[in-house]
Amino acid sequence: MNRFEVVTPRDLPNAVKLLSGRNHAALAGGVDLLDLLKQNIVAPQSLVNLKGVGAMDAIETDESGGVRIGALVKLSEVAANPTLRERYGAVAEAAAQAATPQVRNLATVGGNLLQRPRCWYFRHPDVNCLKKGGDRCYAPGGLNRYHAILGGGPSFIVHPSNLAPALVAFAASVKLIGPGGERTLELERFFTLPRIDPTRENVLDTGEVLIEVMIPAPAPGAASAYLEAREKQSFDWPLVSVAAIVVSDDTHLIRDARVVMGAVAPIPWRSHEAETALRGARLDSSAAARAAEVALKPAAPLSDNGYKVPIAKALVRRAVLRAGGIETA
Amino acid sequence: MDTPQTHQFKVIGTRPVRHDGLDKVIGRAKYGADYSFPGMLYGKVLRSPYAHARIKSINAEKALRLPGVKAVVTHDDFAPQTTAPVYRMGGEAAVNPLYLASNILAKDKVLYAGQGVAAVAATSPHIAEEALGLIEVEYEPLPIVLDVLDAMKPGAPIINTTIRRKERPDEETNIAGEFQFKRGDIEAGFKSADIIVEREFRTEMVHQGYIEPPNALGIFSGDGHATVYTSTQGPFDVRIMSATLLGLPEGSVKVVPAEIGGGFGAKLTVHIEPVALLLSKHAGGRPVKMVMTRTEMMRGATGPTSGSVLRVRMGATRDGKIVAAKCWFAYEAGAFPGSPVWLGCFTGLSPYNIDNFLVDGYDVLVNKPKTSSYRAPGATNAAFAVECVVDELAQRCGMDPLDFRIKNASREGTPSVMGPKFPRIGCVEVCEALKRSAHYQTPLAQVPGKYRGRGVAIGFWINGGMQSSAIVNVHADGTASLVTGSVDIGGSRASTAMVVAEVLGLRAEDVRPAVADTDSIGYTDGTGGSRVAFATGLAAYQAANDVVRQLKERAAKIWEISPEDVDWIDGKAVSKRNGVAPLTLKDLAPRLTRTGGPVTGRANVYATGVGPSFAGCLVDLEIDPDTAKVQVLRCTVVQDVGKAIHPSYVEGQMQGGTVQGLGWALNEEYVYDEKGNLRNASFLDYRMPTCLDLPMIDPVMVEVANPGHPLGVRGVGEVSIVPPPAAVANAVSAAVGTRITDLPISPPRLYRILAARHG
Repeated sequence: MNRFEVVTPRDLPNAVKLLSGRNHAALAGGVDLLDLLKQNIVAPQSLVNLKGVGAMDAIETDESGGVRIGALVKLSEVAANPTLRERYGAVAEAAAQAATPQVRNLATVGGNLLQRPRCWYFRHPDVNCLKKGGDRCYAPGGLNRYHAILGGGPSFIVHPSNLAPALVAFAASVKLIGPGGERTLELERFFTLPRIDPTRENVLDTGEVLIEVMIPAPAPGAASAYLEAREKQSFDWPLVSVAAIVVSDDTHLIRDARVVMGAVAPIPWRSHEAETALRGARLDSSAAARAAEVALKPAAPLSDNGYKVPIAKALVRRAVLRAGGIETA
Repeated sequence: MDTPQTHQFKVIGTRPVRHDGLDKVIGRAKYGADYSFPGMLYGKVLRSPYAHARIKSINAEKALRLPGVKAVVTHDDFAPQTTAPVYRMGGEAAVNPLYLASNILAKDKVLYAGQGVAAVAATSPHIAEEALGLIEVEYEPLPIVLDVLDAMKPGAPIINTTIRRKERPDEETNIAGEFQFKRGDIEAGFKSADIIVEREFRTEMVHQGYIEPPNALGIFSGDGHATVYTSTQGPFDVRIMSATLLGLPEGSVKVVPAEIGGGFGAKLTVHIEPVALLLSKHAGGRPVKMVMTRTEMMRGATGPTSGSVLRVRMGATRDGKIVAAKCWFAYEAGAFPGSPVWLGCFTGLSPYNIDNFLVDGYDVLVNKPKTSSYRAPGATNAAFAVECVVDELAQRCGMDPLDFRIKNASREGTPSVMGPKFPRIGCVEVCEALKRSAHYQTPLAQVPGKYRGRGVAIGFWINGGMQSSAIVNVHADGTASLVTGSVDIGGSRASTAMVVAEVLGLRAEDVRPAVADTDSIGYTDGTGGSRVAFATGLAAYQAANDVVRQLKERAAKIWEISPEDVDWIDGKAVSKRNGVAPLTLKDLAPRLTRTGGPVTGRANVYATGVGPSFAGCLVDLEIDPDTAKVQVLRCTVVQDVGKAIHPSYVEGQMQGGTVQGLGWALNEEYVYDEKGNLRNASFLDYRMPTCLDLPMIDPVMVEVANPGHPLGVRGVGEVSIVPPPAAVANAVSAAVGTRITDLPISPPRLYRILAARHG
């Protein structure tokens, strides 16, 4: 870990100004940042402490029936929030399943969306991989049991965020503030594939700060579910996660659906194929199984991560059924 | 007859609050990294990025010019070392000082990624770390070998060119040690078998996973003395090893043991203690503090335990008698000789009385960290293989797995694998208690959509005795203190103090236990081999009886009778002569001044009479066929504990060892890439179970008194880790119908098995 200073700016514009300078890093919960510092993956001169600028720490309902979540809201607050639990169940559940109680009390929504991948080549101080500006990704031909089965190439990381698949499923947007002013972006467009730029996972510019997540009101009749498969029961990264929303009537006719997978691709992976297969169908186990089949059809596993495909299928099937109120094992 | 099992103890067998409990709970206890001194420097180690390379040059000029840097040292700054062994652990363990020094700071070659190459002391840890980046090391990479079978093949890259096998003195080899145990006629044995099972098993390196990373604070004083503060299991081990590496007489090094945040065997050797002293020496005697990072701890020289390849062939008659067993064990030593393979060879078959066996063990060098001890070192690997084959044999014989084990179990008088006959042991009692348990009596219900299975296994551990010292001081207020040299890793302060309290007729809380530095107590071997409650407990027992002897003399003086006419009964001096009221320690303590002065009891022991221990583990688990996730539903551990001094801490040891064994079975493994870099060197990526992963482990104590100890005590710390991997593998085998041979049984691996079997 290098030597650095911690600066607490007066307000957000000052934070943006500081972060626009060279070699500054934003500090929120500090969970992932500290880990990156300790492994010498980043070596900023200053940490700009966002917790000092006020605001960004509330969950509020807006006039249109949507919800705004400040970037500094803790994962434990998301998990416990009654509105989120009632109307955006997958979001609250995703927060509840992340890491440990201690980490959830520190880690923020913004930090969760912006954390760097857990790839064991990227995280190794002695490996200069593609993601760190090197010339190759070591996953193909290397140890890739935790890497991408969808959307990979030239880098094969998986996006580590628990919240992102659930928020993408709910069509959330993020508000960014930077030197050029404010902009709002659909979260789905915020994340970016390595074929665009392998060194980054999103389009956040230098100096920009993610300040808020906005989730529109769910469609009437919408219900959601979030499921994770892990090696351990707790304190572990998902092997696969799935957020599903099903909008159906009381005859189980599906009017709309969203299926987003996590930990399978460099970005939260929305399966339009699964959504199309579900739309207009009657929700039952065979419809869910069909959705799972088509969702994983494009999968292109590497040498050691083929096992993720059937796990992802199982989770898509279960998440769709659970969202639709049909409990499975 | 009054035996430890029937005697009505007042303190032993109760569950008082541990003496060190409050300080640990509120954060006041001082662990290694908590020590600080004025003018202190911070040390850091530069570690090799290569798994095998020649060091062509080390240039520290730039690092030394960085402001704040006070010293840079390399291997050549150690006193010159030879391969002549230094003995420790009561002479039972030999250390090769040249290998020890080279493992800590490499000499000429680096042999694994993470090996120390140079060390820096600076005025802040950040400067020290920055300075590491300024040390220029020129390496010439060499071919590497990571797999134990590859390393044994002719033509494999050779890690140490001086090593030879006895029968092939001209050939370089990675086989650094060979062990063989045999009995009877193995060929005839297999000929008489009706059923033969043969399988090859594989386990990966696993880490002990203690919470507190290794640390040391070294002060090299100008007068030829040196002091080390460190978190260690063996202060006297640190003393001899540090003194040897620095070329100092043993007695001129003082080691002050800190509280210890877990060790599990790995902290019986030195990791950075000699480096802290060396840096202090080169920095004009300023104190130097070193604390490893988690990544250093896992990649570096702290030593995980061996991965292994295990081949077991066993034969039984149709009625369930094991008639022959052949074992072939190859353990990774890491980069330097010294895996616990011989202990695997010795322990694997020990639960069974087998007339014909042949056990071969190989200690094999690979380009991975030098392994160190881990709770019952070597036994868990071997038991995994043996107990899986035994389970399959029982199944093929159509017998209950516990009946099969009882039928073949070692008993008092059975010759152990090494030859000597077992004293009174509890192997059968453990199996019978497992059979009787509510867990075993309740059938495992299947549920639709899941695979459920039950598995059982047993395990053996030899336990240790060796040397301990104890001092008991009587205070004027009628309390006492107990001073020992045994670092407390499992509640041993409480258990040894309770022994003293029992003898002296005090309450447990009236005996204050202290762990002394190496100048303040007689020689005491390390806290390992489950030896402390047994051997240091024996020293405490004898020291307390030394106090009793003196108190009887004082009572005699007060009563003006001969000491021979005083008895000590139930914690009181009782006159045999006249009808005076007995005197307790509390009565006598204030009168010591006028009857001859203070009373101190002492004892130094080389404890023989070690009682070996057996444990059994019963596991119910459920597999989600879609996600290949194994969930442990219920787990019972049964152990012969001899005599439980403090039952809660005995149960804690049983549960702790079981949890580590379950982690070994299901999740834990060192993952190396083809270049020999550890890919999961953090607790975020190396998956150890937490309390949220497992059900409550149900401990069942069986007390078969050890005839070699006045209170019947056996070591209890280690054996519970031995059976769980086999129990889990047997349960998974039962659930999915395919025999499990490789650990860990994690989803990526289990999925392949499920897919192969169920499509």
